Amino acid sequence: MTHYRVPPEPSVGARARNNREAQSAKGSACDASISLLYNMFLQLLRRIHSSIPRWATDTSLLAKLRKKTGYTVANCKKALEMHNNDPDKAEAWLKEQAQAMGWAKATKLAGRTAQQGLVAVKFDKHHGALVELNCETDFVAKNEKFHKMIEDATLACFKFSHTNLKGKGPITKMEMDTEQLRNLHCDGKKLSEILALFIGSVGENAVLRRAECWKSNSDDVKIAAYTHPSPAVLSDYSAGKYGALMAYKQNPLHEDIGRQICQHIVGCGPEKIGSKEHDKPVKNNDDETCLIYQEYLLDPSYTVEEVLASHEVEVIDFVRFSCGEATGSTALPGVEKQPLDHVQTLQ
Amino acid sequence: MNRKLILNYVYNSVKSSALFNKRLDFSKKVSKLSFSSKPAQKADERKHCNVGTIGHVDHGKTTLTSAITKILAKDGFARYVAFDEIDKAPEEKTRGITINAAHVGYNTKFRSYAHTDCPGHADFVRNMISGASQMDAAILVVAANDGPMPQTKEHLLLAKQVGIQYILVFINKADIVDNEVIELVEIEMRELLSDYGYDGNTIPVTYGSALLALNGDESEHGAPSIRKLLDTMDTYIPSIVRDLQSPFLMPIDNAFTVPGRGTVVIGTMKRGIIKKNDNAELVGFGFSMKTTISDIQIFKKSTTQALAGDNIGVLLRNLKLKSVETGMILCAAKSCSLSNHYKAKIYFLSKQEGGRKKPVVSKYSQQMFSGTWNIACRLDLEPTMEMLMPGDHADVYLTLLEGMVMIQGQPFTIRENNVTVATGIVTEVAVYPPSVTHPQASRVPDWQFAIKSVTLTRFSLVTDHHRSARREYHQHLSGGATPLVDVGDIRREAVGDRRRLAPPLQHLIAEVLLPYASFGLFLRKVIIL
Repeated sequence: MTHYRVPPEPSVGARARNNREAQSAKGSACDASISLLYNMFLQLLRRIHSSIPRWATDTSLLAKLRKKTGYTVANCKKALEMHNNDPDKAEAWLKEQAQAMGWAKATKLAGRTAQQGLVAVKFDKHHGALVELNCETDFVAKNEKFHKMIEDATLACFKFSHTNLKGKGPITKMEMDTEQLRNLHCDGKKLSEILALFIGSVGENAVLRRAECWKSNSDDVKIAAYTHPSPAVLSDYSAGKYGALMAYKQNPLHEDIGRQICQHIVGCGPEKIGSKEHDKPVKNNDDETCLIYQEYLLDPSYTVEEVLASHEVEVIDFVRFSCGEATGSTALPGVEKQPLDHVQTLQ
Repeated sequence: MNRKLILNYVYNSVKSSALFNKRLDFSKKVSKLSFSSKPAQKADERKHCNVGTIGHVDHGKTTLTSAITKILAKDGFARYVAFDEIDKAPEEKTRGITINAAHVGYNTKFRSYAHTDCPGHADFVRNMISGASQMDAAILVVAANDGPMPQTKEHLLLAKQVGIQYILVFINKADIVDNEVIELVEIEMRELLSDYGYDGNTIPVTYGSALLALNGDESEHGAPSIRKLLDTMDTYIPSIVRDLQSPFLMPIDNAFTVPGRGTVVIGTMKRGIIKKNDNAELVGFGFSMKTTISDIQIFKKSTTQALAGDNIGVLLRNLKLKSVETGMILCAAKSCSLSNHYKAKIYFLSKQEGGRKKPVVSKYSQQMFSGTWNIACRLDLEPTMEMLMPGDHADVYLTLLEGMVMIQGQPFTIRENNVTVATGIVTEVAVYPPSVTHPQASRVPDWQFAIKSVTLTRFSLVTDHHRSARREYHQHLSGGATPLVDVGDIRREAVGDRRRLAPPLQHLIAEVLLPYASFGLFLRKVIIL
């Protein structure tokens, strides 16, 4: 929760303390260069001070409180006023109020469009979670608080895929919408509560848009995932503008190309796997929507089908999220939304 | 004497254009005049400045922009642009790229401003890359009741990324808080600015209320605060000065011969001062030729020197017309060197903008266009990037078929089947892609990897007229190291397209020959005998 580097304190007392420290540093057998640096630092401090008027005590308290908590200036000030400038009590009060203020802010901003954001995946061999979290501007999407928020949500879904999914067939899939996501728990808190706190802190609307939780039910069905931009270091969690989950079987004799096929899915955006019996390749390969007929991204001289065949891979299912894309209503007409404890099974 | 000379030039320019119009992109207008084409530029051009607003969505960027136009409209310096006009700015297309940005123009007594308000980071970067406006300064808007937000640091990172040197802070909503709070916000902003590499102590901070000003309030936080901000903008942001210190540089638009005198090249001075009898170099397309400035003409008048921004014709000594190509650069001797290697910021147009449908990966090769020339170019991504999606922007490495002179900030586009798929600007010169070792270094060991069995006899170059590429190739051959590779397995495979070639040859192409392409050789196909 730390915000900015703690800068020199602007109070007179702090300045005096710094002076004393500087002198003691000088007095001790310290390196001369250190004391020189210290003096330069002090000069810099004085320069700042000469340009800015001195502070009343409560302002310095306010500055400290704000740096410590990161809540808005107005709220910090209110907290101090309510508690007679007692910083500890004010801080406690702020923390207490944060949830309520977050809710208030979230309600206020609820109607605003949020199209930016990130898609995150977390997966292991047999489980996968794909989550999209939206916000209003891509500045916020770059902030570490946003990253923390989406990581929490993804972990919650990932955990959910371990605990709540049961079923027959090769894989069990669960699609979640905003409402269902908000009711998931992470560290004993509902995601909706964490989200409200986040909204209160950045002052922008944010929406847990959708998620997919997958579990494979047999040992030979593996799960792979990919996000773009891909992380510098391979890991089981990553976040980006695009993401995909894939379930596949592969002959273990071959090099595992699950991640590469996933990258292809993210890159070329197929709509379905396609089958040789029912689908025909289209004329212009750029418009091809069947995975098997597309040119393989990493070597366009092969089609995906050829790559799959040569590596003895069978793609069972995949899902691809592109952040902010318009989603066709995924629910089939006449099918009601399922509660969280219910589970869909792919036959 | 002068007039005679001019007539001479005119006569010859027409004649030579008939002769050489295949080589040179001649503009008829130019040849009709003298060898300098544009009327002399007047010095009274109004100082221009590009500014932008950045800040949190709710902190009043748009209100501030609107308030500025309202205040200036009173004095007749701007047209009042209402809040919702800015907020609902139509999508704009620059060089085919859709940018969600509101552009508002206004003047102060001293300057004219183009004011940009982009809603997001990606929009700012696109705006910069497409050249819609290179922002000289940014107004960072922060609301006094909130203070800097967590994402304010992302705003500052963006400002750094798009190369904004000057930042002004406007503390908005100052009317609803105490002075102490304003001071606190100011301190926090200064600290934050210092943390992100700006000089937090000297950056001007203005406070007021854009909303009050918009409502015509004349109290301290109302209209006067906006005027104060405008004054600060006038004084704090320095005017753009033409670069007269650097060695001169002029991209060549056009050239022709004056018999008995020499070759004349025409262009607009990008930087520096060119003087008669200066030693110069003509560089581009793998060539670098020494010459001397015999004569300079600005708008039909012979002069002894010309400054950045002037459109001039230059008579060069000892230079044959056929060695001049449009797109070459005339520069002070030894001030520029050719390079095949550049680092650039690039934006790939999204599918909706008519760009590619599929992502690109390293070793993507297409024709690159910049200024008046185009050349085959290979694009490599940072090693950590696996691909670039249409709609993405990134830092990439360019490898040109032949050495060219490009300068920092030079824009270019990449076209595929006559469709623009990417646009970018050069950020660094002579930077080698990390995946490719320096050609000089890779020369020996890679080719020694060759084994006796079968000679890879020939690889044809992209086009035959790329002289320097051919030259390099022959140099290489005469150097004794005949390229040999082990193609034992390949022979059994049918020779055809790449997919049929066995992995060893694929490896050869990908790891040995393609890096070598950075040295000036591009492969079209490999013929195995």
